[in-house]
Amino acid sequence: MEKRAMIEIQRLGKSFRIAGGKRHVALEGIDLNIREGEFVSILGPSGCGKSTLLYMLGGFVPPSSGSIQVQGRPVTGPGPDRGPVFQEFALFPWKTVLGNVMYGLRQQGVGKREARERAMALLHKVNLASYADFYPKELSGGMRQRVAIARTLAYDPATLLMDEPFGALDAHTRTVLQNELLQIWERDRKTVMFVTHGVDEAVFLSDRVVVMTRSPGRIRTVVDIDLPRPRVRAELLVDRRYQEYVVELERLIEDVHHERDAEPAPAPVAKTTLKVATR
Amino acid sequence: MRRILETLVPAAPLILLFVVWESAARLGWAPPNLLPAPSLVLQRLLELLPDGEFLHHLGQTLIRLLGGFAIALVVGVSLGLLASRTGGGALITVVRVLAPIPKIALYPAFVLIFGYDHASKIALVVADTLFPILLATFHGARAVEPKLLWSAWAAGSGRFASLFTVTLPATLPAILTGCRVALLIACVTVFLAEMISSTDGLGHLLSLAARSFRMVDMFVPLLLISLIGLLLNVALQFARKHLLRGQS
Amino acid sequence: MSAQAILQRLGAPLTVLVLLTLWELAARALALDGFPTATESLAQLPAILFDGQSLQSIGASLARMFAGIGLALLVAVPAGLAMGRNPTLARMLNPLLSAAYPVPKAALMPMVMLWFGVGDLSKILVIFLGVSLPLLYHSYHGAARLDDKLLWSAAAMGMRAPARLLRITLPGALPEVLLGCRVGLAMALIVMISSEMIARQSGAGDLLFNALDMALYPDVYAMIVILAALGFALDWAFEHLRLRLVHWAEPRQDAASGGNS
Repeated sequence: MEKRAMIEIQRLGKSFRIAGGKRHVALEGIDLNIREGEFVSILGPSGCGKSTLLYMLGGFVPPSSGSIQVQGRPVTGPGPDRGPVFQEFALFPWKTVLGNVMYGLRQQGVGKREARERAMALLHKVNLASYADFYPKELSGGMRQRVAIARTLAYDPATLLMDEPFGALDAHTRTVLQNELLQIWERDRKTVMFVTHGVDEAVFLSDRVVVMTRSPGRIRTVVDIDLPRPRVRAELLVDRRYQEYVVELERLIEDVHHERDAEPAPAPVAKTTLKVATR
Repeated sequence: MRRILETLVPAAPLILLFVVWESAARLGWAPPNLLPAPSLVLQRLLELLPDGEFLHHLGQTLIRLLGGFAIALVVGVSLGLLASRTGGGALITVVRVLAPIPKIALYPAFVLIFGYDHASKIALVVADTLFPILLATFHGARAVEPKLLWSAWAAGSGRFASLFTVTLPATLPAILTGCRVALLIACVTVFLAEMISSTDGLGHLLSLAARSFRMVDMFVPLLLISLIGLLLNVALQFARKHLLRGQS
Repeated sequence: MSAQAILQRLGAPLTVLVLLTLWELAARALALDGFPTATESLAQLPAILFDGQSLQSIGASLARMFAGIGLALLVAVPAGLAMGRNPTLARMLNPLLSAAYPVPKAALMPMVMLWFGVGDLSKILVIFLGVSLPLLYHSYHGAARLDDKLLWSAAAMGMRAPARLLRITLPGALPEVLLGCRVGLAMALIVMISSEMIARQSGAGDLLFNALDMALYPDVYAMIVILAALGFALDWAFEHLRLRLVHWAEPRQDAASGGNS
């Protein structure tokens, strides 16, 4: 089933002014289309501008050149159609768990009682209903990120913008949350843009993985992850195709690491389809 | 037992000071008309507290103190929040010129313009407490984590609305720290203003007592305004604990 | 970038100009006896500044102020540093300091004059008290925040305690101590003016109220301008000195120095 492009990114670039009046080019010539309901990961080393790309998509940071269109409309600022989830959680520390989840609904003009009911329903879904009256500081990292995800899901954005959301969590919590995220995604089929530097995480979650280079950040290649869904970790780990994707992406990332800054511009978006042995 | 000890040990130096002072006065080491025993001052304060006229003076002082502080709080927080959004270059320039001016020097002008009653004292309290609150708010608001604001904007909050739903609560710890400084300054300022030129208030009581060399009566208002400063500080700590229960 | 720098340079004079204009307009609009215009008031400046007696009076005020500051530096800074390095001492003195903080120091003037007479000593003493508290507070925090290992290595090299306080603790705590000095300087000027307004014996504060008593309103405002300029100039001069002394320290946001980044 062919779905229309949810997000269209064309010739997108971002540069910052640095000391001495020079400009640092963070991102250059980004072309990327993301279909509705697609789960796309942006994979790259730190400093490749992958978070900046996500911030521009969110409308938090203006681009220096190029354009971003979401559902056919150019991005001019943040909006409730694109919900962010940050590595740092960015929960409102002065609000309780329930207050945080209710916030977006209240801002959208939903009445207090209905907002409370809908927020509680969401908290049930992320298994945090009994923590509704806790403050974020009283929760563990994994619980805080669940609250942050619930806060964003509350106002039902069509697109989720996730900026290394599990980067600050321990390994066990990370896998638990990855599973929960997949369950939520398989139910709602929201469009997800997921920034990460974890190869296995990207392969496990995504339909496509965008590999980026750094200085300046460009798209090196896009890898289609052709693995069946719903995905079960235990099955995937012994799946040869999964293993090959991981190995191939690890190699690509390693190449990117070794490339010097003065490397000539790579060809614009090369789409690599891995040759995967079929059983 | 341990708990009693733990509260007593920090109080020990204060108690020691009290005892030395008391014995100095009682044993005649210092002439009593120059240094009254602290017990006498305390006794006099307790005598005066139910006294209607004394309470009137106390009330006048509190009106000026809290009135001036409230005005400075509203103006300072609003200006600080707005300036934090607009860059604040102009504000900082003006503050750099006005903040180091000794405000007490403006008091004669305030008396000339606003008269001898409440207004001139309140104006001085505002002038003295505005900048600590304004600067605390401005710097606090500038340091708010941008991702908190991004989260709010993405959730559909408007830029102006987020000033109150996000920036203000996130700046509250800084504002309360500014308030702590400002409240102490307000106590001192209102007292001095009343000493310099006034017909009522605690400061005026000290000046009055000084004219007839009534030492005990000089110490009473000074002790009381210091206690008010300490009490306001304690009250603010309580408010802080309640308001910031989510933020450590 | 350079346009912004020029604007920043011109910011202070421009602000003063705007404030004077506002004053002029407000005074003309209100037309109060007790609110002369800026031009009327500033016209009195030469008369005050070239009058030997006024100048002497202001000079004497400043001399007392600096005497009080000097005394506070000698007493409060070492005491604060010692508190910072000695927790027992800190536990002993901190309650006294918190109790002393809300006492209006200039309000002690009537008592102090009865004890030490109406001369310079009383005024210097009150300024000393006012400056000491911020100095103690900041020196204490500066020294307490210092890395223990710096002092351990100095002790291992055979440095004695007083030498360590002077050669290790003081330079380490200097940024914080100088911050205390800045607050102390502002405090000194405030205590100086208010104690002179209370005591009405001599000095700048007395001059101000004499003009008020004689209904010489433009002179009152001219004196206010002089004192305001004094406050600004002292702070400006000290900031330049401070930045030269602690250019090695990390930048830190404080009271009036908020750079616009």
